[in-house]
Amino acid sequence: MSAPPPSQGPVTATGTASHNIHGQAIAITVFSTIKWWGKPFLPVLFATTKRVPKLTGTLVKLSFIHFARWSVIEQLPYNGPPQTKRKLRYPHMYFESNFNGGWEEYIDAFSHILTSGMAAFWGSSYGFPKALPVGPFKRYIQVNETEASHYYSAYPQATITMIKGALDVEGKVAPLKRNAAKMEPDAFAAAYERFLTEAQRSL
Amino acid sequence: MSSKNNVNGQAYGFQAMTPIEPGKEHELRGYLEGMHAAGSPLEKLPRTHMGRFVIVEDFHNDPSWGQRKEEHLDLQYLIFTSNFDGELDSYLDELCEVMAPEAQEIWGRCVGCPASAAGDELKAYLKHNQIDCGFFYAAYGAATVPEVKAALRQRDELIAFATSSQGLGPEALQEAFIARFGSE
Repeated sequence: MSAPPPSQGPVTATGTASHNIHGQAIAITVFSTIKWWGKPFLPVLFATTKRVPKLTGTLVKLSFIHFARWSVIEQLPYNGPPQTKRKLRYPHMYFESNFNGGWEEYIDAFSHILTSGMAAFWGSSYGFPKALPVGPFKRYIQVNETEASHYYSAYPQATITMIKGALDVEGKVAPLKRNAAKMEPDAFAAAYERFLTEAQRSL
Repeated sequence: MSSKNNVNGQAYGFQAMTPIEPGKEHELRGYLEGMHAAGSPLEKLPRTHMGRFVIVEDFHNDPSWGQRKEEHLDLQYLIFTSNFDGELDSYLDELCEVMAPEAQEIWGRCVGCPASAAGDELKAYLKHNQIDCGFFYAAYGAATVPEVKAALRQRDELIAFATSSQGLGPEALQEAFIARFGSE
């Protein structure tokens, strides 16, 4: 017997269920069941990924993920009846991402650019069909995805590119703001031009 | 997993997974989905970058995947996750205070939630049901919500200024810049 299919709420033009969206921000929530060897392997993978920044370099370069997390659930905290006190037979992986862009584009980018990373993170999950070709992988994500009932972003209209650009400009404009009143008009105009040249990619 | 894995820069990734009282799943889903219309209660927590409520009905079992035995959840579960600034205790203190009315509607429908669904009791309940991250990624983990919002505002102002100041001479440009952005 299989779990009920993912909630079929209204779907946007990019294939994303509407409750998963707040402005530009999109939520994806995926559960997968892990094979026995994932239990010792995944914590080592997570620790290594955290300690070696180069490994997350591609995630950073992709520039469409605000926040993401992977958790391994081995046991559910007990809260009393009617909850059953029991140990899970398998560990389960919870994955969530907060990104901007469309669902299809997101999965495409994950598959094509993070191919080896995907194999490492989901390779121990039952049913993982490899990241490429992308068709089977999309179907795998769809059947394991659960729609959010409520999703919130504090800055819903901002993409990662806008946020990173804004934070970058912050550092570049600070000296100009600090010195503007102390400069001669011609020197200020030249400094402002230099700032615009340096900051144009971030604006 | 270690609670250190919940942190990236100054950002914290919190997750609680609580069993829903049988028979209350439908009304909880209705309440959560209705929050969109009234505005998110997470807005009342200014340290929250992004958060979500998800109802998980069961694990997915597919016989073709080679899993020897099926596994099912005993009840449906509510997952709450938040990506926020700073440390957990003070965040949950704020949540349990300012979100008390909504918390009653949300966790009040979950097994084991204290009757008050507020304050220290709710905080203890959420911490008891916390699931630690294995790996938590934050693209701008050093920046707080107010910093991100201020940077975005300033970016918009700089773009508007760059357009409106075209053609100004050096003196007028400097005056306009100082008038708009001040001079520290």
